[in-house]
Amino acid sequence: MISSGAFAQEDLMDLLNNKTTDEINYATATFKSTRVMNGHSVERMPPGQLDFRISHRFGKLNSGLYEFFGLDQSSIHLSLEYGILKWLMIGIGRGTYEKTFDGFTKFTILRQSSGARNMPVSVSALSSVAVTSVKWPDPDRTNYFSSRLSYVQQLLVARKVNQSFSVQIAPTFVHRNLVSTELDPNDLYAIGAGGRIKLTKRISFNAEYYYTVNQRSYMSQTVYNPLSVGFDIETGGHVFQLIFTNSLAMIEKGFIGETTGSWKKGDIHFGFNISRVFTLKN
Amino acid sequence: MKRLLMGFVTFVTILLFSVSCYYDNEEALYPSLNSSCDTTNVTFSAKIVPILANNCLSCHSNSTAASSGNNIRLQNYIDVKARTVAIAGSIKHSGTFSPMPKNGVKLNACLIKLVDIWIRNGALDN
Repeated sequence: MISSGAFAQEDLMDLLNNKTTDEINYATATFKSTRVMNGHSVERMPPGQLDFRISHRFGKLNSGLYEFFGLDQSSIHLSLEYGILKWLMIGIGRGTYEKTFDGFTKFTILRQSSGARNMPVSVSALSSVAVTSVKWPDPDRTNYFSSRLSYVQQLLVARKVNQSFSVQIAPTFVHRNLVSTELDPNDLYAIGAGGRIKLTKRISFNAEYYYTVNQRSYMSQTVYNPLSVGFDIETGGHVFQLIFTNSLAMIEKGFIGETTGSWKKGDIHFGFNISRVFTLKN
Repeated sequence: MKRLLMGFVTFVTILLFSVSCYYDNEEALYPSLNSSCDTTNVTFSAKIVPILANNCLSCHSNSTAASSGNNIRLQNYIDVKARTVAIAGSIKHSGTFSPMPKNGVKLNACLIKLVDIWIRNGALDN
C-alpha cells in the first residue's frame, strides 16, 4: 500500500519533470536593438520586419562653443534592414563617412536557451561589405574600383546573464583592399566587448569597446580604439540610442582602425540611433 | 516573394565573393609618387620652410595670424614644432583637424610625405 503510493507520487513527479524539460526556453531581448552602440549585437530582425535606422554623430565636444560643442556638424548613416528568415537578416546603408555604401548579412548560429536544450550563449555571424564613393584625391592616377572595397567578418557571442544584464564578445576581422602606406595593415584583427545593464523597464545603459590586436604604433595616422557609452530608450515601435563615442564612422570598417578621436583629448562625439520597425509581413 | 528574396541574397553574396581581396597600399600601387618625390635631406630649412611659405603663411604668418589665421602662427620654428600633430592632421584632411589649406585642394602627396618624414625624424630645427 505504502509502496504503491510512493510509485504514484513518482509518476506524478515524472510527469511534471517531463513537462518542464520538454520546452525550450529561448532567451529573448539579449539586446534591445540590432546594435549595441556602433557595432552589431547578436539580435536580428524577425522575419517580415523592416527596420529603418537613422543614425547621427555630431562633431567633437571639445570643439567649443563656437561650433556649439559639435552640434553644428553632423554625420549620418541611414539603413534599411530586413528579416528574411527566422535566422537570417540583411541590410543596406549609406553613411557620410567617406560617402560609404554598405551591405550586410547576419545569421543566427546558436540561440541561448534553457529547459530541454541548454545553451549558455547566443551566437550570430555578421558578414559585410563597404564601398566608399568619395572622389579620389588624385583623379589623374589609375584608380581601381577594388580599392574602394572593404570587408568585415564578425562572430557575435552574447549571453543574457539575467533579466537586466547582457554581455557580448565579438571577434572581428576587417580587410581593407587599399591602405595609404606600407605601415598600415590591410588586415585588422579586433575583439569587441559590449554590455547592457537595464536601469528601468524602458531604459538601459550600454557600453562597447573594440580592441584592435594588430594596431601599430606608427601608422600614416594615429588611430585609437573606439569606446562608446550610452543609453537605449525604448518607446513602442522605436528604440532610441543616445551615444557618446570617439568614433565618427558608424560601420565596422570605419570605427575599427580608422577612429582618429581620443577620449583623453576630449574628441567625443554625441550622437543617436533611431530604430523604427515596420511589419511588412506577418 | 520569399524565393525571390533568397535568389537576390544568393546573387549578391556570389557577386561580393567574386570580387577578391587585394592587399594594396598607395605607396606601392603608385610608385611614381615616390620616384618623383625627393625624400633625401628632409630638413626644416630646406624642405619645410618652403612648404609653409607657399601654402600656409598667407594666413598663418606672424602678422596675418591674428586676423585671418585663427591666431595660429607657423612662421617660427618654435610655433611649428608645437603644432606638428595638428599640421599633419590638417594637411591630410584626416577629419580630426580643420582641413588645410582652407577651402583649397589638399597638398600633393609628396609635400605631405615630406612633412611626415620631418615629423617622424623628430621635427628638428635643422
